[in-house]
Amino acid sequence: MVNLLDKQRVESTQPFTVALLEQSGREAVFKRVRELSPNLPASDRAVGELKGGRGGAEQCLDAIDPVKYGSSRNHLDGAVTQLSPYIRHGVISMGEVRDRALKLSTPKQAEKFIQQLLWREYWQRIYTAHPERIWQDVEAYKTGFSPEDYADNLPRDILEGRTGVGCIDGFIAQLLGTGYLHNHARLYLAGYICHWRRVKWQAGAQWFLAHLLDGDPASNNLSWQWVASTFSHKPYYFNLENVDKFSGFNVDTRPETNAPLAGSYETLFARLFPNLEPSR
Amino acid sequence: MSYIWVHEDAMRLDHPVFQAAGGSAQPVFIWDTQEHDKRGYSFKRRVFIYESAQALNIPIYAGEPHEVLSALSDGSVLYAADTPDPYIQQILAELGRYQDVVKIGTEDLSHIPANADMGRFFRFWNKAKKSALTASWEKDEAGHIIRTERHRS
Ligand SMILES: Cc1cc2nc3c(=O)[nH]c(=O)nc-3n(C[C@H](O)[C@H](O)[C@H](O)COP(=O)(O)OP(=O)(O)OC[C@H]3O[C@@H](n4cnc5c(N)ncnc54)[C@H](O)[C@@H]3O)c2cc1C
Repeated sequence: MVNLLDKQRVESTQPFTVALLEQSGREAVFKRVRELSPNLPASDRAVGELKGGRGGAEQCLDAIDPVKYGSSRNHLDGAVTQLSPYIRHGVISMGEVRDRALKLSTPKQAEKFIQQLLWREYWQRIYTAHPERIWQDVEAYKTGFSPEDYADNLPRDILEGRTGVGCIDGFIAQLLGTGYLHNHARLYLAGYICHWRRVKWQAGAQWFLAHLLDGDPASNNLSWQWVASTFSHKPYYFNLENVDKFSGFNVDTRPETNAPLAGSYETLFARLFPNLEPSR
Repeated sequence: MSYIWVHEDAMRLDHPVFQAAGGSAQPVFIWDTQEHDKRGYSFKRRVFIYESAQALNIPIYAGEPHEVLSALSDGSVLYAADTPDPYIQQILAELGRYQDVVKIGTEDLSHIPANADMGRFFRFWNKAKKSALTASWEKDEAGHIIRTERHRS
């Protein structure tokens, strides 16, 4: 049975100009989405700050600064754009974003930014050519472990952001609360889940897809495989010093609340990948 | 009348599918609760998608896309932006058994040889870089670079 969501629009022969819900603000949207989603638990109430639609995309686009991006993008408080949910849902085309960057700067200055856009195109091309790679390991793990060594599901403390590791719990709170995480925070969280907790990347990827406003099967799952090492030469891992270097003041990087992440790369490598030859 | 299915991978009115379908084609969006449930989408994701759909000012239906689209378009031509998403592909393939379905690709940023090495990102980047770093106004419709001097507006 076809159910008209907004009868007025469908029956009208006039172009629809004013969105009724728009006038009453986001509250009306929240109510409508709730009505349309009877199976969502009532406890799932968080909404992101980024508002869907072309207007929101334009706000992000107007703020891009390709030059500053190039020098600061790895920092959690760097000049990243938050365009990803709009790009992921095709609200705005990557061509338009690229062209804006090239109006603001030279190709050389915009190179880092456009390279990041190209990551998305790369993942999309792989998704198109090999859809099975979205959920299957592309290659073997290069961690000294086999898939059976990894847990199938995320433990409860991760789902609830109560791991006891300060910065990790902060990133989880941000993921659940806003649906957005900086690329570096995604790497830290995914690395923690795959290598410190030894959970299959698929479980983490599924969880991210539920919460990220930009949740995209290709960019997300293939990035998880990159972290896990099933689509890269080596596993991605990090240490507390690195988190501290790229974090602003609002990330908890105190050694006493982040003990599992503290140590040199050599020490952590030996702890996380005991079956491998020491590498760094 | 022909229809354009504006699905969740291409929620804009300047996608090439609009040009291909022509001005008289009717765009529609379908709110698919069942699929959102299946994918485990949180409330915030659904809100973002709803707001994006609403901002398009096109008719929004709720239901299973296959059902809605076959009831609406009833044998006429259906246009949709192409996507790798297997769920959307499957719906389009099923509909294509009874009516004309035209899929229109999304513009690529870069143009690379069909046999380019996609094994790792940087091998792809080396091939894709030149066309990716060239603005649309310096390319023809097929994406080939037509001039190399800088243009600023
Ligand atoms: C574990 C993990 C999961 C991820 N999941 C997703 C996902 O579900 N959806 C998603 O769009 N991106 C994903 N990414 C890639 C990247 O983290 C986000 O695209 C980026 O952080 C979005 O923020 P932004 O718009 O501020 O990016 P910016 O740094 O401002 O970049 C501009 C645009 O380039 C694209 N982009 C940038 N970096 C990447 C990248 N590494 N891979 C692909 N595209 C990129 C995005 O479209 C982004 O909007 C993931 C990365 C990791 C490590």
